[in-house]
Amino acid sequence: MSRPFRLMIARRSAEALLKDEGITTLPVDPFALAASRDITIEGKPETHDGVSGMLLRHGNSFGIIYATHIASEGFQRFSVSHELGHYFLEGHIDQLLQTGVHVSHAGFVTADPYELEADHFAAGLLMPETPFRKELENHEPGLATVDALAARCITSRTATAIRYAELSRAAIAVVVSTGGVIDYCFMSDAMKTLPKLLWLRKGTRLPAGTATARLADAPDQVRAGAAVAEEADVRDWLGGTTKAAVSEESVGLGGYGKILTVLSSDVIGREEEDEAEADEDDLIERWTLRFR
Amino acid sequence: MNEEPSPSDIFRKRLREAREMRDYKQEQLADLAKMPATTIAHFEAGTRKPSFDSLRKLAIALEITTDYLLGRVDDPELAEAGDPLFRDVAKLSGSDREIAKDFLKMLAKRSSKKDKAS
Repeated sequence: MSRPFRLMIARRSAEALLKDEGITTLPVDPFALAASRDITIEGKPETHDGVSGMLLRHGNSFGIIYATHIASEGFQRFSVSHELGHYFLEGHIDQLLQTGVHVSHAGFVTADPYELEADHFAAGLLMPETPFRKELENHEPGLATVDALAARCITSRTATAIRYAELSRAAIAVVVSTGGVIDYCFMSDAMKTLPKLLWLRKGTRLPAGTATARLADAPDQVRAGAAVAEEADVRDWLGGTTKAAVSEESVGLGGYGKILTVLSSDVIGREEEDEAEADEDDLIERWTLRFR
Repeated sequence: MNEEPSPSDIFRKRLREAREMRDYKQEQLADLAKMPATTIAHFEAGTRKPSFDSLRKLAIALEITTDYLLGRVDDPELAEAGDPLFRDVAKLSGSDREIAKDFLKMLAKRSSKKDKAS
């Protein structure tokens, strides 16, 4: 099974679980879900960092410990959901029991396939596709949508932005960087339609001259949560052969010195869609029976 | 190469043994554990691996311990006789280790209370 397929299965497993439990609205409460399985949950002391979560078993009793040193409720709920991923996903018993006590660093930062599966389970659990899509369609593309969705799902800005890029029909690119260097980039399908696109790679520098690069040069502002916005040419960020304006919105994510950038466009990817729709309209027109 | 069997390899054999010990057909166990009978068939054939959730549901339905289904103990009635997570806590560093130990003690108490209640 390919890795992208396994990750999709992990997200779908979470969504299927919600369906089984009759949970159809946002926000999803992972603590209540754990309680329904009699899983004891306990926060670690705030003063202690270490691992973001642990799933533990003793006989038939299960428990989850999660880190509270990051005050974000979104991070804590994601950590608990990640551990629930290990609990609910098939095959994780082999991995977890063979490596002994299970510890996690939730947040899409690992290359371990089991950890990634648990992250994707958590994303599917807290941001299930159907209600998430419905909610995002109420907003114009951009950073404000990420914030609105994060508030609705009680999830962190970064986790929400990744899910947003995955599910939005608009052209979206989400870039997270630290100290002017790119950590990762996720693009929506519409953004991927741009020909000869440059894939932003981990470890490469932010494009020079962009508003985000200027913000990155002011670490104090990043830590203070400053936001910048301007119009950019998509080629400055993603290369390619298409000149198109995109909205570039960036915000400092606080103490860790990270910046979240959302590039969005209402136009990119729509031309093909419009043509397809026009073709379809034409086809329907030609084949519709008329009672004259 | 002589590799140790994985927990899910042991599980598939132990599940069948426990089901036969209780004299349940796959359908009966499925009803008790609230899962499709085909899932039990897949687990026993090894074509699907269980989650911890399935493991726990089956242990409760069979009135045995997950330790038996995982091959940690050989007596199906014997609970908490060798918890692998607890044993390997040594791999954790610093105060995470202390936190995990305290938490497992609490889980152990919960387990024994439940056993007494049932």
